[in-house]
Amino acid sequence: MVRIYVIDNGGQWTHREWRTLRDLEVETKIVPNTTLLKELQKDDIQGLVLSGGAPRIGLNSLLGNCAEYLDKGKFPILGICAGHQFMARHFGGKVQPSALPEFGQVELTLCVDNDPLFLGVPKKSIVWESHNDEVTILPKNFIKLGESENCYIQAMRHTDKQFYGLQFHPEVEHTQFGEQIFKNFIHLCEE
Amino acid sequence: MFHAERFIEKTISTLQNEIKGKALIAFSGGVDSTVCAALVNKAIGNQLIAVHVDTGYMRKNESEQVKQMMKNLGLNYRYITASKEYYHALKGVENPEKKRKIIGEKFIRIFEQVAQKEHIDSLVQGTIAPDWIESGGGLRDTIKSHHNVGGLPKDMKLHLVEPLRDLYKDEVRKVARALHLQVSERQPFPGPGLAIRIIGEATPERTRLVREACDIVEKEIERASEQGLMERPWQYFAVLIPIKTVGVHGDKRAYGNTIAIRAVQSVDAMTCHYSTIPHEVLDMISTKITNTLKEKVNRIVYDVTNKPPGTVEWE
Repeated sequence: MVRIYVIDNGGQWTHREWRTLRDLEVETKIVPNTTLLKELQKDDIQGLVLSGGAPRIGLNSLLGNCAEYLDKGKFPILGICAGHQFMARHFGGKVQPSALPEFGQVELTLCVDNDPLFLGVPKKSIVWESHNDEVTILPKNFIKLGESENCYIQAMRHTDKQFYGLQFHPEVEHTQFGEQIFKNFIHLCEE
Repeated sequence: MFHAERFIEKTISTLQNEIKGKALIAFSGGVDSTVCAALVNKAIGNQLIAVHVDTGYMRKNESEQVKQMMKNLGLNYRYITASKEYYHALKGVENPEKKRKIIGEKFIRIFEQVAQKEHIDSLVQGTIAPDWIESGGGLRDTIKSHHNVGGLPKDMKLHLVEPLRDLYKDEVRKVARALHLQVSERQPFPGPGLAIRIIGEATPERTRLVREACDIVEKEIERASEQGLMERPWQYFAVLIPIKTVGVHGDKRAYGNTIAIRAVQSVDAMTCHYSTIPHEVLDMISTKITNTLKEKVNRIVYDVTNKPPGTVEWE
Protein backbone atom coordinates (compact mmCIF):
# COMPACT_ATOMS: atom_id res chain seq x y z
CA MET A 1 0.00 0.00 0.00
CA VAL A 2 1.42 3.37 -1.00
CA ARG A 3 1.42 6.11 1.66
CA ILE A 4 0.43 9.62 0.55
CA TYR A 5 -0.54 12.35 3.01
CA VAL A 6 -2.68 15.42 2.44
CA ILE A 7 -1.36 18.72 3.78
CA ASP A 8 -4.31 20.76 5.01
CA ASN A 9 -4.11 24.36 3.89
CA GLY A 10 -7.70 24.96 5.00
CA GLY A 11 -9.49 24.02 1.78
CA GLN A 12 -13.15 23.18 1.43
CA TRP A 13 -12.07 20.08 -0.49
CA THR A 14 -9.06 18.91 1.59
CA HIS A 15 -11.18 16.08 2.98
CA ARG A 16 -12.28 15.17 -0.56
CA GLU A 17 -8.60 14.70 -1.48
CA TRP A 18 -8.27 12.37 1.48
CA ARG A 19 -11.40 10.51 0.42
CA THR A 20 -10.26 10.12 -3.19
CA LEU A 21 -6.91 8.71 -2.08
CA ARG A 22 -8.59 6.38 0.41
CA ASP A 23 -11.05 5.19 -2.23
CA LEU A 24 -8.04 4.31 -4.40
CA GLU A 25 -6.67 2.16 -1.56
CA VAL A 26 -3.92 4.59 -0.56
CA GLU A 27 -2.81 4.78 3.07
CA THR A 28 -3.60 8.40 3.73
CA LYS A 29 -4.06 10.99 6.45
CA ILE A 30 -4.84 14.70 6.62
CA VAL A 31 -2.11 16.58 8.48
CA PRO A 32 -1.90 20.28 9.38
CA ASN A 33 0.40 22.40 7.24
CA THR A 34 2.44 23.18 10.34
CA THR A 35 3.70 19.56 10.40
CA LEU A 36 7.50 19.37 10.17
CA LEU A 37 9.03 17.51 7.25
CA LYS A 38 10.88 15.19 9.63
CA GLU A 39 7.54 14.11 11.09
CA LEU A 40 6.37 13.16 7.62
CA GLN A 41 9.66 11.39 6.92
CA LYS A 42 9.23 9.39 10.14
CA ASP A 43 6.01 8.00 8.62
CA ASP A 44 7.94 7.18 5.47
CA ILE A 45 5.51 8.88 3.12
CA GLN A 46 5.87 8.31 -0.63
CA GLY A 47 4.00 11.37 -1.83
CA LEU A 48 2.28 14.52 -0.70
CA VAL A 49 -0.76 16.51 -1.77
CA LEU A 50 -0.76 20.22 -0.89
CA SER A 51 -4.42 21.13 -0.57
CA GLY A 52 -6.11 24.34 -1.58
CA GLY A 53 -7.33 26.85 0.96
CA ALA A 54 -8.66 30.29 1.66
CA PRO A 55 -5.22 32.01 2.01
CA ARG A 56 -4.69 34.48 -0.84
CA ILE A 57 -1.43 33.40 -2.40
CA GLY A 58 -1.87 36.24 -4.86
CA LEU A 59 -1.69 38.61 -1.91
CA ASN A 60 1.48 37.01 -0.49
CA SER A 61 -0.01 34.72 2.14
CA LEU A 62 2.27 32.11 3.68
CA LEU A 63 1.29 28.47 3.66
CA GLY A 64 2.59 26.83 6.86
CA ASN A 65 5.57 24.60 6.23
CA CYS A 66 4.86 24.01 2.55
CA ALA A 67 8.14 25.73 1.61
CA GLU A 68 10.10 23.12 3.56
CA TYR A 69 8.36 20.23 1.80
CA LEU A 70 9.14 21.77 -1.57
CA ASP A 71 12.77 22.51 -0.69
CA LYS A 72 13.64 19.19 0.85
CA GLY A 73 10.98 16.69 -0.20
CA LYS A 74 12.34 13.72 -2.13
CA PHE A 75 8.92 12.41 -3.10
CA PRO A 76 6.31 13.47 -5.67
CA ILE A 77 4.25 16.51 -4.63
CA LEU A 78 0.89 17.52 -6.09
CA GLY A 79 -0.10 21.11 -5.36
CA ILE A 80 -3.79 21.89 -5.83
CA CYS A 81 -5.20 25.43 -6.17
CA ALA A 82 -3.55 27.42 -3.34
CA GLY A 83 -0.98 24.58 -3.08
CA HIS A 84 -0.23 24.96 -6.80
CA GLN A 85 0.00 28.74 -6.54
CA PHE A 86 2.33 28.52 -3.57
CA MET A 87 4.54 26.05 -5.45
CA ALA A 88 4.77 28.47 -8.38
CA ARG A 89 5.61 31.45 -6.20
CA HIS A 90 8.11 29.47 -4.13
CA PHE A 91 10.12 28.54 -7.21
CA GLY A 92 10.16 32.09 -8.55
CA GLY A 93 6.94 32.35 -10.54
CA LYS A 94 4.29 34.98 -10.09
CA VAL A 95 0.81 34.69 -8.57
CA GLN A 96 -1.76 37.47 -8.89
CA PRO A 97 -5.45 38.03 -8.36
CA SER A 98 -7.27 36.68 -11.42
CA ALA A 99 -8.70 39.21 -13.82
CA LEU A 100 -11.49 36.67 -14.38
CA PRO A 101 -11.66 34.23 -11.48
CA GLU A 102 -13.23 30.85 -12.18
CA PHE A 103 -15.89 29.12 -10.06
CA GLY A 104 -17.52 25.87 -11.09
CA GLN A 105 -17.35 24.25 -14.49
CA VAL A 106 -14.51 25.07 -16.94
CA GLU A 107 -13.01 23.37 -19.98
CA LEU A 108 -9.39 22.33 -19.53
CA THR A 109 -7.13 22.07 -22.57
CA LEU A 110 -3.94 20.07 -22.24
CA CYS A 111 -0.87 21.52 -24.01
CA VAL A 112 1.50 18.52 -23.71
CA ASP A 113 0.97 14.97 -24.94
CA ASN A 114 1.62 11.93 -22.78
CA ASP A 115 2.53 13.63 -19.54
CA PRO A 116 2.48 10.92 -16.83
CA LEU A 117 -0.03 12.86 -14.68
CA PHE A 118 -2.50 13.16 -17.54
CA LEU A 119 -2.30 9.67 -19.03
CA GLY A 120 -5.78 8.67 -20.15
CA VAL A 121 -7.08 12.25 -19.97
CA PRO A 122 -8.29 13.65 -23.34
CA LYS A 123 -6.94 16.92 -24.72
CA LYS A 124 -10.15 18.68 -23.69
CA SER A 125 -12.14 17.81 -20.57
CA ILE A 126 -14.41 19.33 -17.92
CA VAL A 127 -12.81 20.37 -14.64
CA TRP A 128 -14.19 22.30 -11.68
CA GLU A 129 -12.59 25.40 -10.25
CA SER A 130 -12.81 27.74 -7.30
CA HIS A 131 -10.11 30.39 -7.28
CA ASN A 132 -9.58 34.11 -6.84
CA ASP A 133 -5.85 34.09 -7.69
CA GLU A 134 -3.78 32.34 -10.34
CA VAL A 135 -0.25 31.73 -11.54
CA THR A 136 0.53 34.41 -14.10
CA ILE A 137 4.25 33.73 -14.70
CA LEU A 138 5.61 30.19 -14.70
CA PRO A 139 8.63 29.60 -12.45
CA LYS A 140 11.95 28.65 -14.03
CA ASN A 141 12.34 24.88 -14.40
CA PHE A 142 8.60 24.42 -14.84
CA ILE A 143 6.64 23.64 -17.97
CA LYS A 144 3.04 24.43 -18.61
CA LEU A 145 0.75 21.42 -19.09
CA GLY A 146 -2.72 22.91 -19.42
CA GLU A 147 -4.82 26.03 -19.79
CA SER A 148 -8.43 27.26 -19.90
CA GLU A 149 -10.08 30.17 -21.65
CA ASN A 150 -9.58 32.55 -18.75
CA CYS A 151 -6.60 31.03 -16.96
CA TYR A 152 -3.33 30.65 -18.81
CA ILE A 153 -1.72 28.20 -16.38
CA GLN A 154 -4.09 25.46 -15.25
CA ALA A 155 -1.41 22.79 -14.82
CA MET A 156 2.38 22.78 -14.54
CA ARG A 157 5.25 20.39 -13.86
CA HIS A 158 8.81 20.75 -12.59
CA THR A 159 11.27 19.73 -15.28
CA ASP A 160 13.48 17.58 -12.98
CA LYS A 161 11.40 16.73 -9.92
CA GLN A 162 8.02 15.01 -9.67
CA PHE A 163 6.34 18.25 -8.59
CA TYR A 164 3.01 19.09 -10.16
CA GLY A 165 0.68 22.04 -9.73
CA LEU A 166 -3.00 22.12 -10.71
CA GLN A 167 -5.20 25.19 -10.56
CA PHE A 168 -8.37 23.11 -10.96
CA HIS A 169 -9.64 20.52 -8.51
CA PRO A 170 -9.19 16.88 -9.52
CA GLU A 171 -10.62 15.71 -6.17
CA VAL A 172 -14.21 16.84 -6.71
CA GLU A 173 -16.90 14.58 -8.11
CA HIS A 174 -17.75 16.88 -11.01
CA THR A 175 -14.22 16.98 -12.50
CA GLN A 176 -14.51 14.50 -15.35
CA PHE A 177 -11.13 12.76 -15.16
CA GLY A 178 -10.21 13.69 -11.58
CA GLU A 179 -9.92 10.13 -10.39
CA GLN A 180 -7.70 9.24 -13.36
CA ILE A 181 -5.36 12.10 -12.47
CA PHE A 182 -5.15 10.83 -8.89
CA LYS A 183 -4.47 7.29 -10.15
CA ASN A 184 -1.63 8.65 -12.26
CA PHE A 185 -0.22 10.58 -9.31
CA ILE A 186 -0.40 7.48 -7.10
CA HIS A 187 1.46 5.59 -9.81
CA LEU A 188 4.23 8.23 -9.76
CA CYS A 189 4.50 7.87 -5.99
CA GLU A 190 4.78 4.09 -6.25
CA GLU A 191 7.73 4.27 -8.63
CA MET B 1 -13.30 2.07 -1.18
CA PHE B 2 -15.80 2.71 1.57
CA HIS B 3 -17.23 -0.54 2.95
CA ALA B 4 -20.57 -0.02 4.67
CA GLU B 5 -20.56 -3.39 6.47
CA ARG B 6 -17.07 -2.85 7.85
CA PHE B 7 -18.02 0.66 8.91
CA ILE B 8 -21.13 -0.57 10.73
CA GLU B 9 -19.23 -3.25 12.61
CA LYS B 10 -16.41 -0.93 13.64
CA THR B 11 -18.74 1.92 14.61
CA ILE B 12 -20.96 -0.21 16.84
CA SER B 13 -17.99 -1.45 18.83
CA THR B 14 -16.54 2.09 19.11
CA LEU B 15 -19.92 3.40 20.30
CA GLN B 16 -20.19 0.69 22.95
CA ASN B 17 -16.90 1.91 24.41
CA GLU B 18 -17.58 5.60 23.95
CA ILE B 19 -21.08 5.93 25.42
CA LYS B 20 -21.38 5.47 29.14
CA GLY B 21 -24.96 5.25 30.35
CA LYS B 22 -27.81 6.84 28.44
CA ALA B 23 -27.56 8.92 25.30
CA LEU B 24 -29.83 11.32 23.48
CA ILE B 25 -29.96 11.61 19.71
CA ALA B 26 -31.05 14.73 17.86
CA PHE B 27 -33.48 13.10 15.45
CA SER B 28 -34.66 15.05 12.41
CA GLY B 29 -35.81 12.03 10.44
CA GLY B 30 -33.25 12.58 7.69
CA VAL B 31 -30.76 9.99 6.44
CA ASP B 32 -27.93 11.11 8.71
CA SER B 33 -29.76 11.12 12.03
CA THR B 34 -31.69 7.95 11.19
CA VAL B 35 -28.51 6.04 10.33
CA CYS B 36 -26.94 7.37 13.49
CA ALA B 37 -29.92 6.34 15.59
CA ALA B 38 -29.91 2.85 14.09
CA LEU B 39 -26.20 2.42 14.81
CA VAL B 40 -26.40 3.72 18.37
CA ASN B 41 -29.51 1.65 18.97
CA LYS B 42 -27.58 -1.44 17.94
CA ALA B 43 -24.78 -0.43 20.30
CA ILE B 44 -26.70 0.51 23.45
CA GLY B 45 -30.33 -0.50 22.80
CA ASN B 46 -33.06 1.44 24.57
CA GLN B 47 -30.51 3.39 26.57
CA LEU B 48 -30.80 5.66 23.53
CA ILE B 49 -33.50 8.30 23.56
CA ALA B 50 -34.41 9.92 20.25
CA VAL B 51 -35.61 13.51 20.49
CA HIS B 52 -37.42 15.18 17.63
CA VAL B 53 -38.13 18.88 17.84
CA ASP B 54 -40.87 20.45 15.76
CA THR B 55 -39.26 23.85 15.29
CA GLY B 56 -42.13 25.29 13.28
CA TYR B 57 -39.76 25.32 10.32
CA MET B 58 -40.41 21.76 9.19
CA ARG B 59 -42.03 20.92 5.87
CA LYS B 60 -45.69 20.04 5.41
CA ASN B 61 -46.71 17.20 7.79
CA GLU B 62 -43.02 16.38 8.27
CA SER B 63 -42.89 16.21 12.06
CA GLU B 64 -45.90 13.90 12.18
CA GLN B 65 -44.19 11.59 9.69
CA VAL B 66 -41.00 11.69 11.73
CA LYS B 67 -42.94 10.67 14.82
CA GLN B 68 -44.30 7.68 12.90
CA MET B 69 -40.78 6.84 11.74
CA MET B 70 -39.47 6.82 15.30
CA LYS B 71 -42.28 4.44 16.24
CA ASN B 72 -41.59 2.21 13.25
CA LEU B 73 -37.90 2.05 14.06
CA GLY B 74 -38.77 0.98 17.58
CA LEU B 75 -36.93 3.93 19.09
CA ASN B 76 -37.44 5.14 22.61
CA TYR B 77 -38.48 8.66 21.61
CA ARG B 78 -39.58 12.09 22.84
CA TYR B 79 -41.47 14.50 20.60
CA ILE B 80 -41.19 18.18 21.41
CA THR B 81 -43.26 20.99 19.94
CA ALA B 82 -41.36 24.26 20.14
CA SER B 83 -42.54 26.32 17.17
CA LYS B 84 -43.67 29.28 19.29
CA GLU B 85 -40.27 29.49 20.96
CA TYR B 86 -38.44 29.33 17.65
CA TYR B 87 -40.62 31.98 15.99
CA HIS B 88 -40.09 34.19 19.01
CA ALA B 89 -36.31 33.70 19.02
CA LEU B 90 -36.09 34.54 15.30
CA LYS B 91 -38.27 37.60 15.47
CA GLY B 92 -36.59 40.46 13.63
CA VAL B 93 -33.54 38.34 12.70
CA GLU B 94 -32.46 38.69 9.06
CA ASN B 95 -28.80 37.70 9.06
CA PRO B 96 -28.43 34.05 7.93
CA GLU B 97 -25.55 33.34 10.28
CA LYS B 98 -27.53 34.72 13.22
CA LYS B 99 -30.51 32.58 12.27
CA ARG B 100 -28.35 29.48 12.15
CA LYS B 101 -26.71 30.21 15.49
CA ILE B 102 -29.98 30.98 17.28
CA ILE B 103 -31.52 27.77 15.94
CA GLY B 104 -28.41 25.76 16.87
CA GLU B 105 -28.42 27.09 20.40
CA LYS B 106 -32.15 26.52 20.82
CA PHE B 107 -31.78 22.86 19.84
CA ILE B 108 -29.07 22.38 22.44
CA ARG B 109 -31.07 24.11 25.21
CA ILE B 110 -34.00 21.77 24.52
CA PHE B 111 -31.71 18.72 24.49
CA GLU B 112 -30.10 19.89 27.74
CA GLN B 113 -33.50 20.04 29.42
CA VAL B 114 -34.32 16.50 28.34
CA ALA B 115 -30.84 15.35 29.33
CA GLN B 116 -31.09 16.87 32.78
CA LYS B 117 -34.49 15.38 33.43
CA GLU B 118 -33.47 11.93 32.27
CA HIS B 119 -29.84 11.90 33.50
CA ILE B 120 -28.17 11.75 30.11
CA ASP B 121 -24.56 12.80 29.45
CA SER B 122 -24.07 12.13 25.74
CA LEU B 123 -25.56 13.88 22.74
CA VAL B 124 -25.42 11.92 19.48
CA GLN B 125 -25.59 13.95 16.28
CA GLY B 126 -25.63 12.84 12.65
CA THR B 127 -22.93 15.35 11.72
CA ILE B 128 -21.28 14.52 8.38
CA ALA B 129 -18.17 15.87 6.65
CA PRO B 130 -19.67 18.88 4.82
CA ASP B 131 -21.17 20.14 8.12
CA TRP B 132 -17.82 20.66 9.84
CA ILE B 133 -15.96 21.55 6.65
CA GLU B 134 -18.35 24.41 5.82
CA SER B 135 -18.61 25.52 9.44
CA GLY B 136 -14.90 26.40 9.23
CA GLY B 137 -12.46 26.95 12.04
CA GLY B 138 -8.66 27.19 12.15
CA LEU B 139 -7.40 27.75 8.64
CA ARG B 140 -10.74 26.94 7.06
CA ASP B 141 -13.08 29.78 6.22
CA THR B 142 -16.66 29.68 7.52
CA ILE B 143 -18.95 29.25 4.54
CA LYS B 144 -21.99 28.76 6.77
CA SER B 145 -22.35 27.71 10.41
CA HIS B 146 -24.15 24.38 10.34
CA HIS B 147 -26.47 24.35 13.35
CA ASN B 148 -24.93 21.11 14.65
CA VAL B 149 -21.32 22.35 14.49
CA GLY B 150 -20.78 26.09 14.13
CA GLY B 151 -24.15 26.76 15.78
CA LEU B 152 -23.38 24.90 19.02
CA PRO B 153 -23.24 27.16 22.08
CA LYS B 154 -19.77 27.39 23.64
CA ASP B 155 -20.99 26.49 27.13
CA MET B 156 -22.53 23.18 26.09
CA LYS B 157 -21.74 20.44 28.60
CA LEU B 158 -23.14 17.38 26.84
CA HIS B 159 -20.54 14.95 25.54
CA LEU B 160 -20.77 14.95 21.74
CA VAL B 161 -20.83 11.66 19.85
CA GLU B 162 -20.64 11.98 16.05
CA PRO B 163 -20.01 8.61 14.39
CA LEU B 164 -20.57 9.87 10.82
CA ARG B 165 -18.12 12.81 10.90
CA ASP B 166 -15.88 11.48 8.13
CA LEU B 167 -18.70 10.43 5.81
CA TYR B 168 -20.35 12.19 2.90
CA LYS B 169 -24.02 11.76 2.05
CA ASP B 170 -23.44 9.06 -0.58
CA GLU B 171 -21.55 7.01 2.00
CA VAL B 172 -24.26 7.54 4.63
CA ARG B 173 -26.77 6.30 2.07
CA LYS B 174 -24.67 3.16 1.58
CA VAL B 175 -24.78 2.54 5.32
CA ALA B 176 -28.54 3.19 5.34
CA ARG B 177 -29.03 0.63 2.57
CA ALA B 178 -26.89 -1.92 4.39
CA LEU B 179 -29.07 -1.37 7.47
CA HIS B 180 -32.22 -1.70 5.31
CA LEU B 181 -33.48 1.72 6.36
CA GLN B 182 -36.30 3.05 4.21
CA VAL B 183 -35.01 6.56 4.58
CA SER B 184 -31.86 5.81 2.52
CA GLU B 185 -32.88 7.79 -0.58
CA ARG B 186 -34.60 10.72 1.14
CA GLN B 187 -33.50 14.15 -0.07
CA PRO B 188 -31.42 16.25 2.35
CA PHE B 189 -33.19 18.85 4.46
CA PRO B 190 -31.18 21.31 6.55
CA GLY B 191 -31.49 21.35 10.35
CA PRO B 192 -32.54 25.02 10.47
CA GLY B 193 -35.31 23.98 8.10
CA LEU B 194 -37.47 26.45 6.24
CA ALA B 195 -35.99 29.33 8.27
CA ILE B 196 -33.05 29.41 5.87
CA ARG B 197 -35.30 29.10 2.82
CA ILE B 198 -36.76 32.49 3.66
CA ILE B 199 -34.49 35.37 2.81
CA GLY B 200 -34.85 37.92 5.60
CA GLU B 201 -37.03 37.49 8.66
CA ALA B 202 -38.52 34.00 9.03
CA THR B 203 -41.99 34.97 10.24
CA PRO B 204 -44.78 32.39 10.67
CA GLU B 205 -46.60 33.87 7.66
CA ARG B 206 -43.55 33.68 5.39
CA THR B 207 -42.94 30.15 6.67
CA ARG B 208 -46.45 29.22 5.58
CA LEU B 209 -45.71 30.54 2.07
CA VAL B 210 -42.39 28.78 1.62
CA ARG B 211 -43.79 25.56 3.13
CA GLU B 212 -46.58 25.53 0.57
CA ALA B 213 -44.16 26.35 -2.27
CA CYS B 214 -41.70 23.64 -1.17
CA ASP B 215 -44.51 21.13 -1.10
CA ILE B 216 -45.53 22.01 -4.66
CA VAL B 217 -41.93 21.86 -5.95
CA GLU B 218 -41.36 18.49 -4.28
CA LYS B 219 -44.58 16.94 -5.53
CA GLU B 220 -44.27 18.18 -9.11
CA ILE B 221 -40.61 17.20 -9.43
CA GLU B 222 -41.27 13.78 -7.92
CA ARG B 223 -44.16 13.27 -10.30
CA ALA B 224 -42.06 14.35 -13.29
CA SER B 225 -39.22 12.02 -12.23
CA GLU B 226 -41.59 9.09 -11.84
CA GLN B 227 -42.97 9.79 -15.32
CA GLY B 228 -39.44 9.75 -16.70
CA LEU B 229 -39.53 13.42 -17.73
CA MET B 230 -36.39 14.17 -15.75
CA GLU B 231 -33.80 12.62 -13.46
CA ARG B 232 -34.78 12.99 -9.81
CA PRO B 233 -32.53 15.74 -8.45
CA TRP B 234 -30.36 15.29 -5.38
CA GLN B 235 -32.22 18.10 -3.63
CA TYR B 236 -35.17 20.24 -4.78
CA PHE B 237 -37.11 22.97 -3.03
CA ALA B 238 -38.40 26.55 -3.08
CA VAL B 239 -36.90 29.70 -1.62
CA LEU B 240 -38.96 32.73 -0.61
CA ILE B 241 -37.42 36.00 -1.73
CA PRO B 242 -39.39 38.79 -0.10
CA ILE B 243 -38.84 41.16 -3.01
CA LYS B 244 -42.04 42.45 -4.43
CA THR B 245 -42.74 42.81 -8.10
CA VAL B 246 -45.75 43.95 -10.04
CA GLY B 247 -48.23 41.54 -11.53
CA VAL B 248 -51.81 41.38 -12.71
CA HIS B 249 -54.44 39.18 -11.07
CA GLY B 250 -57.94 39.19 -12.57
CA ASP B 251 -57.58 42.64 -14.13
CA LYS B 252 -56.27 44.04 -10.86
CA ARG B 253 -52.78 45.12 -9.99
CA ALA B 254 -50.84 42.59 -7.88
CA TYR B 255 -47.70 43.36 -5.89
CA GLY B 256 -46.38 40.17 -4.30
CA ASN B 257 -43.28 38.20 -3.32
CA THR B 258 -40.95 36.08 -5.42
CA ILE B 259 -40.29 32.35 -5.16
CA ALA B 260 -37.14 30.73 -6.55
CA ILE B 261 -37.09 27.11 -7.68
CA ARG B 262 -33.86 25.37 -6.70
CA ALA B 263 -32.86 21.85 -7.73
CA VAL B 264 -29.34 20.40 -7.87
CA GLN B 265 -27.48 17.25 -8.82
CA SER B 266 -24.73 16.14 -6.49
CA VAL B 267 -23.11 13.13 -4.89
CA ASP B 268 -21.57 14.62 -1.79
CA ALA B 269 -22.89 18.21 -1.57
CA MET B 270 -19.36 19.56 -2.02
CA THR B 271 -19.90 20.36 -5.69
CA CYS B 272 -23.31 20.61 -7.30
CA HIS B 273 -24.67 21.22 -10.76
CA TYR B 274 -28.07 22.83 -11.03
CA SER B 275 -30.66 20.37 -12.34
CA THR B 276 -32.20 20.72 -15.74
CA ILE B 277 -35.95 20.83 -15.16
CA PRO B 278 -38.02 20.51 -18.35
CA HIS B 279 -40.00 23.65 -19.21
CA GLU B 280 -43.32 21.85 -18.95
CA VAL B 281 -42.50 20.93 -15.34
CA LEU B 282 -41.35 24.47 -14.54
CA ASP B 283 -44.58 25.69 -16.08
CA MET B 284 -46.67 23.44 -13.86
CA ILE B 285 -44.77 24.47 -10.72
CA SER B 286 -44.98 28.15 -11.60
CA THR B 287 -48.73 28.10 -12.17
CA LYS B 288 -49.47 25.99 -9.11
CA ILE B 289 -47.45 28.17 -6.76
CA THR B 290 -48.85 31.46 -7.98
CA ASN B 291 -52.42 30.16 -7.98
CA THR B 292 -52.08 28.62 -4.54
CA LEU B 293 -50.35 31.56 -2.91
CA LYS B 294 -52.57 34.10 -4.68
CA GLU B 295 -51.82 37.73 -3.83
CA LYS B 296 -48.74 36.75 -1.79
CA VAL B 297 -46.62 35.49 -4.69
CA ASN B 298 -46.81 36.60 -8.31
CA ARG B 299 -43.34 35.82 -9.65
CA ILE B 300 -41.33 32.59 -9.98
CA VAL B 301 -37.64 32.39 -10.91
CA TYR B 302 -35.43 29.38 -11.63
CA ASP B 303 -32.00 29.22 -9.99
CA VAL B 304 -29.30 28.16 -12.49
CA THR B 305 -26.26 28.45 -10.20
CA ASN B 306 -23.74 25.67 -9.61
CA LYS B 307 -21.82 25.11 -6.37
CA PRO B 308 -19.34 26.76 -6.48
CA PRO B 309 -20.01 29.67 -6.85
CA GLY B 310 -23.37 29.20 -5.07
CA THR B 311 -24.25 26.80 -2.27
CA VAL B 312 -27.27 24.49 -2.39
CA GLU B 313 -29.38 26.45 0.10
CA TRP B 314 -29.51 30.22 -0.28
CA GLU B 315 -28.47 30.97 3.32
